[in-house]
Amino acid sequence: MAMTSTAPAPAPPTPQTDRHSSVVFSDDREWAGHLVPFVRAGLERGEQVQYFAATTDPDRVRGVLASAGVDAARAEGEGRLVVTTAERTYLSGPAFDPDAMMGLWHQAMDTARAEGHRGLRAIGEMAWGAQGVAGADRLLEYELRLHHEVFEALPLTAWCFYDSRLVPAPLLAQLAGAHVHHRGAPVAGPVLRLEPLPGRTGLRLSGSAGYDTRSAVRSAAAVVSGSPGGDVELDLSGLRHLDISSLATLAEAARRRSRGRLRLLHAPAPLRRLLGLFPELGAAVEIADR
Amino acid sequence: MTTHSRTTTYFRQPPGRGPGSGLFHPALFYRSEAEYLDGVGRFVRTAVLGRGAQALVVVPGPRLEALRAHLEDLDGRVTWLDMTEAGRNPGRLLSLFREFADRHESSESRPSIVGECVYAERGPAGTVEALRHQALVNVAFAGRRVSVLTPYDVTLPESVLEAARRIHPVVTEDGVRRTSPDFADPLDVCRSFDTPLPDPVDPLVVEFGEHELALARGTAEDWASRCGLPPARRTDWLLAIGEATGNSVRHGGGRGTLRMWRAENSLVAEIRDDGQLTDPLVGRRRPDPRSPHGGRGVWIMHQLCDLVEMRTGPDGLVLRLHMAVG
Repeated sequence: MAMTSTAPAPAPPTPQTDRHSSVVFSDDREWAGHLVPFVRAGLERGEQVQYFAATTDPDRVRGVLASAGVDAARAEGEGRLVVTTAERTYLSGPAFDPDAMMGLWHQAMDTARAEGHRGLRAIGEMAWGAQGVAGADRLLEYELRLHHEVFEALPLTAWCFYDSRLVPAPLLAQLAGAHVHHRGAPVAGPVLRLEPLPGRTGLRLSGSAGYDTRSAVRSAAAVVSGSPGGDVELDLSGLRHLDISSLATLAEAARRRSRGRLRLLHAPAPLRRLLGLFPELGAAVEIADR
Repeated sequence: MTTHSRTTTYFRQPPGRGPGSGLFHPALFYRSEAEYLDGVGRFVRTAVLGRGAQALVVVPGPRLEALRAHLEDLDGRVTWLDMTEAGRNPGRLLSLFREFADRHESSESRPSIVGECVYAERGPAGTVEALRHQALVNVAFAGRRVSVLTPYDVTLPESVLEAARRIHPVVTEDGVRRTSPDFADPLDVCRSFDTPLPDPVDPLVVEFGEHELALARGTAEDWASRCGLPPARRTDWLLAIGEATGNSVRHGGGRGTLRMWRAENSLVAEIRDDGQLTDPLVGRRRPDPRSPHGGRGVWIMHQLCDLVEMRTGPDGLVLRLHMAVG
């Protein structure tokens, strides 16, 4: 049977690492400097562009685009540009929910294609993550899972806008560090860095885990227990230290996982030592000696 | 003397005076290897052959060899461990004893333990902690059907033998078993060991709150590396310090002070905070690693360090972690 679809062929995806980026800025000029070319390129490629504001007035987004020569009004009228707020869309429920978000991205992509767009790109302002929104503690888990569950599955391009005036430095370091690609002002590395593992379900942990990094470890544990699929992997080659609480949290997440095992790659000496003291923590964990 | 205490004296056997219903915790003061082999040998033989119990023998290496040869007919019923390894840090011993007792205690069986934890090579700080362990045996096994024999070489300093008379309800000396008139409340005995720790010379100091925990860990790691601590021991050092500094932030008022210095044959890390130690047995039982409330961190420190000193008082809590070097 011949292909008879009338939808335009999707644009070839841009290189994968570029497609999910953290973008850090510290003033409005830098913000506009990231915004305008991103929107312009998307419209030129025939992709639908969506902007989810958190703290910026949507009219300011429209104004800045217009004054830079982008016909935002027309693009919005034709549905090629959507300027909305997180509050009116994905934060309108009782709490931010990463599991639901993964489905929303797949839906948004389907809708954009059905409406005849060649692809979808989005900007999300993420400052709400530092503002006590219900479920904000799951933002890091969300950023980490997006890579594999959304970006490796869909030709979506999304930039996460982090305003360094609104997000405290340690949280900014953690969240920006969770992206494979970073733009804008350089950000110091977090004490414990969590990054997605390209091509696989899992994470790379590097740095030092202790009482001070318990919140990041909880996010890693949420990825371990909540990611769909079979086995989940943690690459620990860059992990210099971890405490018993971090290990117990990860082991418990592995135990809660309904399918597959937690595989630890390049388990460092302190982890092996702690498993030697508490072999019971290794029950749902596989140490891959490669 | 009140009627009540007279009644107590006459009608209730004080804890540990004989292998009756509760803990039996005698000391054996020995003058020679023959006396040692005879005293310890009889204790183990009675337990194993007389009562069919399991025995755990933890004594320093050379004595271990002699005892094993003396009791070779009992092999299979006795677990032998070298005190200089298993009890290198005396703070680990109670956990070891409790695991053994928990496994073997029953209405028919009275597990028996020999633990010679004070010996000449311990050094003063280690000896204090070894005696503290002995006193805590009375607390941990109160009312339990467990026997614990502690041999003491009579050439040990008189202060050690005096402490032993306060710790053990019965002492066998010159082959005669007597009730010790100096026996005292074990917690009072423990408190008597809480003498101030000597001041270090020129330590490296890191003040930390939650946001400086990573800095404290990084500094501890780098410093130990510069001091020549081999990688495997450096892992232990950092694990112990990571737990201790994390506990300061979590339980000790949100912050603390880490000081590190080189002692004669070891590296020492001191962690000082505003916490209090309410349970003298904390960290002396193998915890559930999943529970954050079971003294998990302190137990890990005891397992990984060569000596752990702990002092609690109105100024807060002081921990000193020792790691042998070179």
